Amino acid sequence: MSEPDLATPFRERAGQALDDRFLQEALTIATTKFITLRREAFDAFPQGEALRDQARAIKEATLQRLDHWLEMLIDNVERRGGHVHYATGADEARRIVLDIARRTGARMAVKSKSMATEEIHLNDALEAAGVTPVETDLGEYIIQLAHERPSHIIAPAIHKTKGQVAELFRRELNRDAAPDPEVLTQIARAELRQKFLQADLGITGANFGVAETGTVVLVTNEGNGRMVTSLPRVHVAVMGVEKVIPSMTDLAVFLAILARSATGQKLSVYTSLVNGPRRGGELEGPEEFHLVLLDNGRIRQIAGPLREALSCLRCGACLNVCPVYRQIGGHAYGYTYPGPIGILLTAMLNGPGSVKDLAHASSLCGACVDACPVRIDIPRMLIELRRELDEQRIAPWPERVVFGAFAWLLQRPALYRLSARLGRLLQRPLARNGRIRRLPLFFGSWTRTRDLPPIAARTFHERWAELEREARR
Amino acid sequence: MTTRAEFLHRIRTEMGRAPGLVPSATAPRPTRPRERLEVLRRELSERWRESLERFAVEFERVGGVLHRVGDAEEVPGVVARIAGERRARSVIAWPGATLGVDVTASLVERGLDALAMPEAEVTPAERARLRAVAAAADVGVTGVDLAVAETGTLIVVSGAGRSRSASLLPSCHVAVFDREALLESLEQVGVALEAWHDGDDPTWRGAAINFITGPSRTADIELTLTRGVHGPREVHAVFVERGLDVRRRV
Ligand code: SF4
Repeated sequence: MSEPDLATPFRERAGQALDDRFLQEALTIATTKFITLRREAFDAFPQGEALRDQARAIKEATLQRLDHWLEMLIDNVERRGGHVHYATGADEARRIVLDIARRTGARMAVKSKSMATEEIHLNDALEAAGVTPVETDLGEYIIQLAHERPSHIIAPAIHKTKGQVAELFRRELNRDAAPDPEVLTQIARAELRQKFLQADLGITGANFGVAETGTVVLVTNEGNGRMVTSLPRVHVAVMGVEKVIPSMTDLAVFLAILARSATGQKLSVYTSLVNGPRRGGELEGPEEFHLVLLDNGRIRQIAGPLREALSCLRCGACLNVCPVYRQIGGHAYGYTYPGPIGILLTAMLNGPGSVKDLAHASSLCGACVDACPVRIDIPRMLIELRRELDEQRIAPWPERVVFGAFAWLLQRPALYRLSARLGRLLQRPLARNGRIRRLPLFFGSWTRTRDLPPIAARTFHERWAELEREARR
Repeated sequence: MTTRAEFLHRIRTEMGRAPGLVPSATAPRPTRPRERLEVLRRELSERWRESLERFAVEFERVGGVLHRVGDAEEVPGVVARIAGERRARSVIAWPGATLGVDVTASLVERGLDALAMPEAEVTPAERARLRAVAAAADVGVTGVDLAVAETGTLIVVSGAGRSRSASLLPSCHVAVFDREALLESLEQVGVALEAWHDGDDPTWRGAAINFITGPSRTADIELTLTRGVHGPREVHAVFVERGLDVRRRV
């Protein structure tokens, strides 16, 4: 089920998530834990703040000469015996991978966790072409067996209990297991070990591509990244163009903040630097190495309103702190990338029309900016998106009418003051204890889940005028 | 099919349209990275004890077990003890030249089923056979190119006689190092990586550099920390005080 579940509207998807007691508890535990781990990691790392600024500057500087760094990356990958491919859209990216699979006679592909291959819905395409895709990150493996989608960028199966996983393994793998994470993990190890050794094709994303050296960098905790890049005879890495960084010195900066932001670790367990195919004398390593450079809406944003989102490291920190994500979890968003940054990435990949509801799934509180290792100003871009949706008349008409009227009123001070007075009269029957709990007519949907603060007894305008009078006296 | 030229052209077009950009810079790189690394190593050699102590703390924090010996000859004994405690029978190891000490002969004498991985290119059939041996082995013994104190990380460069599987497939990994591998920080790792990639790659060097920070782990089921999901469940590091005789250092 890699196609987004978009048959139900966002409002309903979110409602379902809110009614799911287990999901609510799991989300609270997971996100709270990640927040604490991240905070502790940075508290114990005073140079972290300066490194975050530096990382941000590196991303921006790279983007300003993106053509230069990409060309260098391409040249160096090819110099080391790798092949580079160029994919404009998701369909082209799939075709490239399928061609490689066909040409090399691949029957099974092992994958290490990669948002880029989720984004292009590669698994369905592989399956249709007779190549069995096997997700090897434990969380991804679980949700692949369950035919579900990831609910968190770095913890894809946080919505499942150990009991559900045990039941799943019983049904899909015919393995009777106690609902104990230790036991279940060992079963997955044994199952996947066979797949690693049998697979012809290893498919990964890329956390970074180092231009100066032609190196693809993968970060994992489980070791599946190492397996996938060492054991199958062909390795294909699918990398968004924005993942290129200039040098190994830059890499050291990013590594210092990436794991701390994601899981609070100083470094993830495995960081693998891959310099192309197996070399003479090596026992392991693929005979062929392919790098697929992916556009899929990214290039357009170099000069677009979502440019800043091209700096994202996919660490997941902004999900954990987001009050909306914490309530509804990843599935309700409906697309590959959940959470606040997910809204922007969805708009980047599928156009602003795809997020006409999601653009409002944020309180604009700014917690994401504070948590983001590269300080991406997500709220600014969400507001920008909302404006664009309004301008392009994609936003629903009641919203456009209400905000249109409001804008009209704001430009007419006399009328505005009059309407404030009028409003004060009209709200009388509605306001109780300084709150409006229920609005009439279709406005009622606004107050269904929140209160409306009433218009003040004395408006700011009136108080200001008073102050001025007093000052003059 | 999109070509390189079309792809880059589109990028350049968009770059030309990008409005008002903030001046930004990439991280300043060492101009002569090899010399810089040499200087760094000399400085570090004077305070390796501090580096080792910090490494010990961080390595244990991430779940590693540190052993210290005086001489390289003591390494096989440590490996044998680790294997014995786990009732392990089969051991694969880097050969003496890359490890800095020959462990297999001595392990075989002690009744273990030990195999040194070859240093020269072998046939595909032999590679497949050795892979199966590695996958069935209980313990893998490798060298270490860098040991990073700040993070408790072992950095291992692949290549001829530097099997990647030995640190990956067996459930217990034993890594052997000496003071020359010690670095203090990730920033210094950046310098080393710059130096290693400066100029042409030496022919014996492989295509992978792996940073290993503790045993393989996951928290994907109910956030319960579990070890050894794909890689080793246990990582041991053996520090050899009086040094290893490694033929080719990276
Ligand atoms: S936007 Fe920032 S915090 Fe969110 S995933 Fe990307 S890098 Fe991490």
